[in-house]
Order: sequence, then C-alpha cells, then structure tokens
Amino acid sequence: MRIKKNRGIEKKQARWGFLFVMPAMLFFSLFNFYPILNAFHTSFYNRKVLSRAKPSFVGLDNYVRLFDVTRAANPLSFYNSLKATIVFTLGTFIPLLVLSLILAVLISNLSSNRAKKFLQISYYTPAVLSSVVAASIWMIIFDPRGLGNQWLNALMRTPGVDRKWLVDPVMEQVSTMVIYFWKYIGYFVILFITGLASIPPTIYEAATIDGANKSQTFWRITLPLLKPTVVLVSVMAMLQCLKTFSTQYMLYTNGAPRAPINVITFNIYITGIQDQYLSRASAMSVVLFILMMLLTLLQFKTTKSENVDY
Amino acid sequence: MQIRHENILGKIVTWAILLIMLLFTLTPIIFMISSSMMTSKQILRMPFNWIPEKFNWINFSKAIKGLDNNYIFLRNILNSLIVSTTVAITTVLLASLTGYGLAKFKFRGRDAVFMMIMGTMMIPFETIMIPLYMVVTMLHIQNSYVGLILPFLVSAFGIFQMRQYLTTFPTEFLDAARVDGMGEFGIYAKIVLPNCKPVIATLSILAFRSQWDNLLWPLLVSQSAKMKTIPQYISAFAEEKATDEGAMMAAALLASLPMFILFMSLTKYFIGGSSVYESRKG
Repeated sequence: MRIKKNRGIEKKQARWGFLFVMPAMLFFSLFNFYPILNAFHTSFYNRKVLSRAKPSFVGLDNYVRLFDVTRAANPLSFYNSLKATIVFTLGTFIPLLVLSLILAVLISNLSSNRAKKFLQISYYTPAVLSSVVAASIWMIIFDPRGLGNQWLNALMRTPGVDRKWLVDPVMEQVSTMVIYFWKYIGYFVILFITGLASIPPTIYEAATIDGANKSQTFWRITLPLLKPTVVLVSVMAMLQCLKTFSTQYMLYTNGAPRAPINVITFNIYITGIQDQYLSRASAMSVVLFILMMLLTLLQFKTTKSENVDY
Repeated sequence: MQIRHENILGKIVTWAILLIMLLFTLTPIIFMISSSMMTSKQILRMPFNWIPEKFNWINFSKAIKGLDNNYIFLRNILNSLIVSTTVAITTVLLASLTGYGLAKFKFRGRDAVFMMIMGTMMIPFETIMIPLYMVVTMLHIQNSYVGLILPFLVSAFGIFQMRQYLTTFPTEFLDAARVDGMGEFGIYAKIVLPNCKPVIATLSILAFRSQWDNLLWPLLVSQSAKMKTIPQYISAFAEEKATDEGAMMAAALLASLPMFILFMSLTKYFIGGSSVYESRKG
C-alpha cells in the first residue's frame, strides 16, 4: 500500500517537472531547432525572394558556388568574406587574449583593493555602451582631422600624415579591430581576474618559500594553473569575433568600402535580406554554423581534459 | 638593495601599462561626452580642446528631433526599453521555471531535455536569422513588438545558471511546503523564485543588455520608423548626419544614458555577471 502511494507521488512529481520544462522546450524547438534545420534545408534549394513559387532542389550548388575558386577574384565573394572574417578574428582575439591576461595579472598583483576595483570598472565601461555607439565614437576619432591621426602622428613624430583609417583596406580592418578590442578588453580582463582569484594563495606562498622569483612564478605556476581559463576565454573570444556585425555595418553605411570588412555575418545580411537570395544566405549560415560548432566542440574537449585539480 | 630596485622599476612599469590602458578605455567616452556639447568645427579642430567653450544645446535638440523633426527618437528609445525589459522578464521567468524543473524534479528524459537545451548554445543567432525572418514574415508579425521579442524569450545560458543555482537549494524546504498543502506552482512562485535574487539580477541585466545592443534582428523585422529600436536610430542618424558630429555624439550619449545609469547602480552584478558563459549567446 505504501509503495503504491509513493509511486503515485513520484508520478505526480514527474508530471510537474515535465510541465515546468515544457514551455522552454517548445520555445527552443520553434526558435532554434526548426530554424537551423530549415537553414540546412533551404541551402539545398534555390529560394530567392519570399515568393509563393515552389523553389527547386539544386543539391550542393549553393555550396559549390560559395567555394568556387574562379569567383575568388571578386572582392565581394564568399572567399573574401571568409578571409575578412579570419583576419578580423585573429587580429582581434590574439591582442585581446594576450593583453587581457597581462592586465589581469598586473591588476591582481596590486596591493590596493580600491585601485583594483577602480581599474576593473574603468576598463569595463566601454562594454556598457552598445556596439553602434562605440562605432559612432570611433568613426569621428578616425576622421582625417580627428584624434586618431593627431595622436598617432604625435606618437610617431610624423605631423600631418593622414592614416586613411576608414578608406585604406588594411587600415579599415585595423579600425574595426581597434573598436572591437576597445569594447571587449575590460570584459576579458575581468574573466581572467576571476580565473586568477581561483588559484589558492598557498601555492604562491610555497613557491616564494622555495625561492621562486616573480617571472618564474608566472611561467611555472600561474600560467599552467590558468590554462583552463586561457583555453576557455580564447575559444569564447574567437566565437564572439566570428559573430561580429554591428561595427562592420556602421562603417559600411557611413561610406567605408565594403570588401575589406565584408565578414560572413555581414555577407549573410546583404545576400539574404538586401538581395533576397535566401538559399545562398542559408548556405553561408550553415558554413558559419559548422565553423562555430567545431570551435565549441574543441573548447568542450580541451576544457574537459585540461581540468586542473589543486 | 638589488631586489628593491627591481621592485620600484616593476611598479613603475606596471602602473605605466595600467595607466596607458586606462587612457585608452576612458578617453573615447570622455570624447563622446565633451563633443556632444560642441560644434563640428570644434570637434575636428587640431589640437582637440577637451573642455567645451560653451554648452551647445542644439546638438541635443537635433538628436531628439531626429531626421524628420518628428521626435522619433523618443519612440525608438521607448521601443528599446519595452523590448529589453520584456525580454529580461520572460528570460527570468522561463529560465527559473525550467531550471527549477530540471534541478528538483525527476522525470523520464530529463537529462535529454537538459542536453538539448545546452545544445542550443551551439546555434548562434546569426546562423538562424534568415529562417527566423521567413517565419516572422509568414506570421505577419514584422514591425511589431511580438516580432522583435519572440526569438529571445529565454536563453539556454539562463536556464543553465538557474539550474546550477537551484541544485544546491535545500529540498527540505520544498517538502515542508508540500506537507503544508502548498501547490507545486505556489512553491515555485512563493519559495523558489524569491530565493533566486542574485541569479535573477545577473540574468535580467544580461538579457536587457543584449537586447539594448541588438541591431541585427531589428534591422530584419522593423522597417517602419515607429517600430525601430535605438541602435537602428543611432545607425540611421550617423548615416544621415555624418557631417554633424556634435549631434551624432549627443544622440550616442542620450542612447547610452539608460545603460550608464544601470551600470552605476548595479556595478556589482554587471561585473560579477561576466561569467564564463556570458558571450556564448547574444
């Protein structure tokens, strides 16, 4: 009799649990799983506009077109998008990673708690601004008569030189990297400070007793123990950079040339929404999805195997 | 003696690096604030004068009046507030409900459900925006709050956070409430939810921010001026008023005020909430 009653309670509990997770499952099915399957599906058809006409099956044509070598010469081809994305990602995430790690170590070693807090908040402030605001500020700084030229020329003692921040293809890429770096540096500094704080101080004490100096402590203790955070933050920064859109959009709508900053997300937007080539845009989305999924899986794998026990 | 020298030198180098970085992060913000009160001529003068000679009100009135003198700025900032607030609320409610269900109930397929939800973290919004756009056009909900909000009702990250937090919540409290005859939904609303305050704060800030900063989705679904959000306003304003830098900075400053105020009053949650998983989605 008692067992039966318990089982009844369990059943009731199970029903409630199921009920509680239902809304979210419904949401994810409709707004995550269905769209990603739909993207795969659409990428094999030649859907152009939102017309009622039934699109025909074209197999891998859209993908072949994306990776067609003969199209590589076109500055707006997917090839160049891929290149622009990789250049942007590497050029942004490497400085972000290295500098945020250095800054986090320097801040963590400060003795004054007030200075620590002040620096963290100040570095973080740009992250509070929206991407469009960040881009508008920097577009004025990068004006030929703006602060960008003034400062760089003062620093390099080359008065009156225009660096063509938003005109020259390479400088334009550098400009997007600077804007992105500026917005996210504080965020990554804080991630590393959190990671550093989780290393028990007793390990440092032991090292000091053993006569290790500061650089030895950093290379032999801090860095190896921080490895999980480093891996996590670097993959995260990479994923973040692969998704960049607003900065490039702002620069483009303000007259900067499109080709050097035609990153994949921006290309998807132009191809799918402006030019209404929905299938081509879907094929690009699938490529981006696979790229990001591989990175995420890599992250899971490395973080799992690299876990450190203190 | 040797060690002393090294220490002082190290300190100087440390502070030099930290201060250069401080200048780099803060000057553009100060630049925005002071140039919002200047004329274009003053902004692009060499060398730049950091303190405005006289407060140039006209920039702010231009920013608020907008391109067509129709004060659409106010409507657009209201839209952003409505969308961001709603998403923050639905995220908290749905994430806590789901997180509670996953943390405290045993049912068949629970782990599968959890894995599926975590799996959506691997689907970046940028890769599903085209199909979502097709769904929205089919449902005829372009240019509406529903269209702006629907794809962001809850985030997998939010559910993950809630679940982690609630796993440690003492089950005895829940059982005691059950013995007292409280209904399951009542337990969620009256016991679980009030006990999640720190996670709620972090999550709602996160959700609010990600929508406040969202440009891509509104670009797809809001074409009518009335339904545009503040990032769209800033981007259009910057495009049209490219030569009126003062007005552009005034608009940028006004659009940033809500976030600045939120940041200053809730700094702890902003910085503490920079959890490792934050940027996975959004």
